[in-house]
Amino acid sequence: MRRVLPWAALGVVVLVVLAWAAWPDGGTATPRERARDLATELRCPDCEGLSVADSSTSSARAIRADLRRRLAAGETEDEVRRAYVDRYGESILLKPEGRGLGVLVWGLPVVVFVLGAGGLALALARWRREPQLHATAADEALVDETRRSDHA
Amino acid sequence: MSHPARWIAIAVAVVVVGIGVVLATQVGSDPRADTTTSQLVGGPAPRLALRDLDGHTVDSTSLTGKAVIVNFWNTWCVPCQEELPALQSFAASHRNDPDVAIVGVVRDDTKPTVRDYVKAEGIGWTIAMDPGSQAALAFGTRGQPETFAISPDGIVAGAQIGPVNEHSLEKMLAAARRQGT
Repeated sequence: MRRVLPWAALGVVVLVVLAWAAWPDGGTATPRERARDLATELRCPDCEGLSVADSSTSSARAIRADLRRRLAAGETEDEVRRAYVDRYGESILLKPEGRGLGVLVWGLPVVVFVLGAGGLALALARWRREPQLHATAADEALVDETRRSDHA
Repeated sequence: MSHPARWIAIAVAVVVVGIGVVLATQVGSDPRADTTTSQLVGGPAPRLALRDLDGHTVDSTSLTGKAVIVNFWNTWCVPCQEELPALQSFAASHRNDPDVAIVGVVRDDTKPTVRDYVKAEGIGWTIAMDPGSQAALAFGTRGQPETFAISPDGIVAGAQIGPVNEHSLEKMLAAARRQGT
């Protein structure tokens, strides 16, 4: 039981952190806030690696304005993402979608984690099963006699 | 199975290497590398409704029936400067062809600078200003220069990211004409 407690505590901490990260925000975001969030998901077409939210190019500014306009007109985030993917291709998304090759990007860490955790659990179980060797009195006597004869 | 942990470790390594090979061959490191052409090719061209250097309207609907080369550029972009001779040669070759039009769309630049540049370089085709990058946004451009060929019936028949040359321009024009037949 004492050995399980630290692992249980670790598991609780992990679950709490995951739940906190995934908990939806309270209240309804404004179109401006939603546009800002969406801008962080889109790659600036003129620059490598920067999001539309972070870039100061005219393209990024035009896209930010377009996002606000579309969301204010009632389009959903998914519809806007789809429109941009249709115009620029999948590479406009900073985060891969959860389909096609995107499944590999999202799924690989989970697969590796599960396999690694399973391997570690098996290794620990194996180490626990291995016999613990203890020296008997006869073994101790034999070692002492050998030492004495070496010194003599 | 005498060493299950070892087999699991090997399985993880095989999975990671296999997926790494798939990703390396399917997805380029440059986010733009997987888009060597525009997503618009084969679809209807966005409408251009801009103003030229004299303030006159440049509307793509008035170009229906012509094969149109739309070239996004600006004066300070070095590849744009490099491709200019090819565009000039192409324009000269088709000067007397009423079924071909060239429209240069400028963004991230100022009108006086563009006007001086056009005059200095002897650019003879229509130049339109795109101050809010709306046309660039509509065409899904990824910087400049970027060139599109639009068929007489308004379909994007070709696109090229980066500087064009005479051969690529003629190829795009041919594709636009084929699309329109």
